[in-house]
Amino acid sequence: MAHDIIVIGAGLNGLVAANYLAKAGKRVLVLERRAMAGGQAVTEPLGSGFGVDALHAGGQLRPDIIKDLGLAMPPTTSEPLVSLLPGGQQLRLTADADERTIGSIARLSKQDAARWPDFVAFMQEAAGFLDAAYRTPMPRLPHVSLSQGLPLAKLALNLRRLGPRDMFRVIRALPMSALELTEEWFETDAVRAAVSAVAVHGATLGPMSAGSGYTLMHNWLNRGGLGHRRVEGGIGRLAEALVTALEARGGEIRLSTDVKGILVDNMAVRGVRLAGGEVIAGSMVVSAADPRHTLLGLVGAPELPPHFVWQMQSIKMRGSVAKVHLLTDGNHGLPAGTLVIAPSVRHIERAYDAAKYGRMSQAPYLEITTSGPVVSLHYQYAPYALREQDWSQERTVLERSAVDAAVGVSPSLRESIREVVSLTPLDLERTYGLTEGDLNHGQLILDQMFFMRPLPGWSSHATPVEGLYLCGNGVHGGGGISGASGRNAARAILKG
Amino acid sequence: MSVNTYDAIVIGAGHNGLIAGAYLARAGKKVAILERREIVGGAAVTEEIFPGYRFSEFSYVVSLLRPEIIRDLELPRHGLKILPLPSTVTPMDNGDYLAAWADHEPTRREICRHSARDAEAFDEYSRVMARAAKAIKPVLSLVPPDPTSMSIRDMLGLLKLGKYAKSLSEKELYRIAKLVTQSSADLLDEWFEFDPLKGTKSASGIIGTFLGPHSPGTAYVLLHHYMGEIDGAFRAWGFAKNGTGGVTAAIAASARALGAEIRTNAAVKQVIVKGGRAAGVALENGDELRAKVVLSAADPKRTFLNFVESRHFPDEFVTQIRNFRVRGSSGKVNIALSGLPEFTCLPGESPLHRGAISISPSIDYIERAYDEAKYGQFSKNPYIDMIIPSMIDRDMAPPGHHVMSCFVQYAPYDIEGGWDDQKREAFGETVINTIERYAPNIRRIIVGKQVITPKDIERIAGITGGNIFHGELLLHQLFFLRPAPQWADFRTPLPGYYFGASGAHPGGGVMGAAGKLAAHEVLRDWR
Repeated sequence: MAHDIIVIGAGLNGLVAANYLAKAGKRVLVLERRAMAGGQAVTEPLGSGFGVDALHAGGQLRPDIIKDLGLAMPPTTSEPLVSLLPGGQQLRLTADADERTIGSIARLSKQDAARWPDFVAFMQEAAGFLDAAYRTPMPRLPHVSLSQGLPLAKLALNLRRLGPRDMFRVIRALPMSALELTEEWFETDAVRAAVSAVAVHGATLGPMSAGSGYTLMHNWLNRGGLGHRRVEGGIGRLAEALVTALEARGGEIRLSTDVKGILVDNMAVRGVRLAGGEVIAGSMVVSAADPRHTLLGLVGAPELPPHFVWQMQSIKMRGSVAKVHLLTDGNHGLPAGTLVIAPSVRHIERAYDAAKYGRMSQAPYLEITTSGPVVSLHYQYAPYALREQDWSQERTVLERSAVDAAVGVSPSLRESIREVVSLTPLDLERTYGLTEGDLNHGQLILDQMFFMRPLPGWSSHATPVEGLYLCGNGVHGGGGISGASGRNAARAILKG
Repeated sequence: MSVNTYDAIVIGAGHNGLIAGAYLARAGKKVAILERREIVGGAAVTEEIFPGYRFSEFSYVVSLLRPEIIRDLELPRHGLKILPLPSTVTPMDNGDYLAAWADHEPTRREICRHSARDAEAFDEYSRVMARAAKAIKPVLSLVPPDPTSMSIRDMLGLLKLGKYAKSLSEKELYRIAKLVTQSSADLLDEWFEFDPLKGTKSASGIIGTFLGPHSPGTAYVLLHHYMGEIDGAFRAWGFAKNGTGGVTAAIAASARALGAEIRTNAAVKQVIVKGGRAAGVALENGDELRAKVVLSAADPKRTFLNFVESRHFPDEFVTQIRNFRVRGSSGKVNIALSGLPEFTCLPGESPLHRGAISISPSIDYIERAYDEAKYGQFSKNPYIDMIIPSMIDRDMAPPGHHVMSCFVQYAPYDIEGGWDDQKREAFGETVINTIERYAPNIRRIIVGKQVITPKDIERIAGITGGNIFHGELLLHQLFFLRPAPQWADFRTPLPGYYFGASGAHPGGGVMGAAGKLAAHEVLRDWR
């Protein structure tokens, strides 16, 4: 055997895990279905060939990963979040509480401007706690072993060090709704809405849903604030850096290699089967695909305990994000920054209402980013499971609705459009392997977090199948672009 | 100006106040329980709104009342009599119905009539929920420890909690963790497929809460209500003889027998603070009463923001209380009837008329009702839980006549433009229209109706925001966070001032645990 470990999927988490394992001396083989590495974090040519960050406008790996793996990272820039309000007004927010931000808020409310620095400080603390939690292995309850207990105790100490006031604030904020949370800080609906937009980004929750306080912390942590962190040269460069590092460590990556099955014998991994029928033998497989696809799709329910299968089926995925990319002649008239159309909390909540009943939002919450002549629209909500239509027919409706919403804030955009390429939730599943179009491989909701991710009792990255591990977004630390779950999985495997 | 001196003064003669007062009196303290209204009972009162027709005006069923309280205070001897509420029936749009009883077997057979798959799941579901409710039950009678405190009491409390957690199996812990965090819709979707079944079960996850069944956290509220069925005094939902006022009347009688003095028409204006301690209360009528200890059974807003000047509390505490959510979300329509409503699905007089009748055809129905409320409107097609108390207790209405109690959700306290007579009337009409779809004769037999909005709950029962739990059972308002972090042990930042009502741990329903636990903490501190 030329390798010790097979990694399924060359997304960031798969590559991060592979790097950690290779660094520890393991011979690693990474298998990627697509012709390029990166997973969700790809910069690729769409339509007639214009290059774009297809799914995520920005992102960054955790600093400890960059350090551990000695990665040569491309430069990044943090963008402000700009909420485009009716009447051409703009609310410009950054997590630095700089003068421009304070001035921008002050035009709406002096009181809110005065509270912004405290809010930012609180959010940094909350994100800091979450950051610590995401690197702490989650135990099985209730018999926490000493080796798990120590990091947990450290986490608890971390939390206590915030002092009682901030500790309770953080604990309270997790199950709160974004509206409740922002109401405690701000009087202006537009400010609450802009922050709430970040909270529900990528989630199938509304700003009035309990638990959107948690997703606010999560997105704040991953973005390092409110706006995206743009990667110079495209987000695909993150994967390139990981691939370079992996190859330098002797790891191998095979692209256009579609794993169709994980071979299991007597509850132990024996290898993987590829689309062409080829079998690659191996006794350890680390899957960066989502837990449900890995276990039910690749292993198969007949190989697994029935209760486990039932639990796997109950993982809530329900993606409701679609992307619409526009190639323009450059005269789109949009300013730089992470632009959001989320003028009021009710606007976002109404957009979310549609998703609850399996419909696309009529008036979406839209996030707009630009890169030269390319305009990318992140559309919420576009539920994967439409009740009365199906995505093969709804593409034009999606495109029209997205463009109309964007033209509403920049009239010159319409004339400038040369080409439209959309990615429906079904495309996210088919092209990018995201089950139900869920970017997070399982919704970031309270009953799927920490020791309950992906399932209660299985937060250690292991599975009932000996030698099969999970390292994607669907396990602890996962969600968004950070590499945390890949790192956590590799460390759990190496600890053995 | 008369000056009276007591060991302890209890503000509010609702069930929690009465229970706290009774326990203090039982320990030999000289106790005064002060009630703003002319009658005792708080939100657990029976009133003759129309001559001859008696209503459980607000709270209308009991099941959660702690058995040890019934024992300790000898409530049956003081007149408490619980009549079982045997069933729940959900009328369906096609003229059929779904019924459920306290007994498992007939319920299972009934579910099987609609879905064999659900009937099978129902066995396991019932077992799992019963286990979860039993497992979480001890937490209800625990004083929540402060996880940041290093005091011996809190450390012991945490240790006790840890020991308790260790006593549960891994499966039970996960089940509880999921139940506390997930939505009732997700919970039920995992088990069942039949809409009226899911709708009716999800309804208990939204009661008193300004959330829809799709909102995370509602599964806990569902469990909270389920606990009564498992572990309440009666192992089922029940109805008190003479209405819910019958419960508080019995507690009041017990308190009096134990030596407590109950004063009605004694509205508290302010808590008197002397030397940094609560020293008594000043009444609206100018009277002043002195006491070593004051225990408030009013809602948290009045307890901390109205009765005591803010300067006696740390700023952070005042902010936390201001941020405590008390959004009322439900209303009541109490109807006097000249006959029995004829439900299309229950021709004639059915035994099912003696139970609850629930308008909850599906989870989506309830979720849509919530959608309207979150944008500041009352639901056009509300969830309604009806009971006809006169079917159980004939004394509630004149012979041949009936009273019907309709609990309605959602009716937001902060309705757009504010509540007025016109909106109240429209809300009542909406409720009647909804009932009429299932009981076409309802309009013809109405003798009188009382429509209660959250604003009316606030006005009459004195609950700020009109929330029936004095504060929603939201995850961030439970256990050691209720009503505020570090003050969940029934004490307050003002020495000598205690808090023991629904807004404290473990929260609402006619449960009485808060009143009892608060009295215990008072006695513990007594030196």
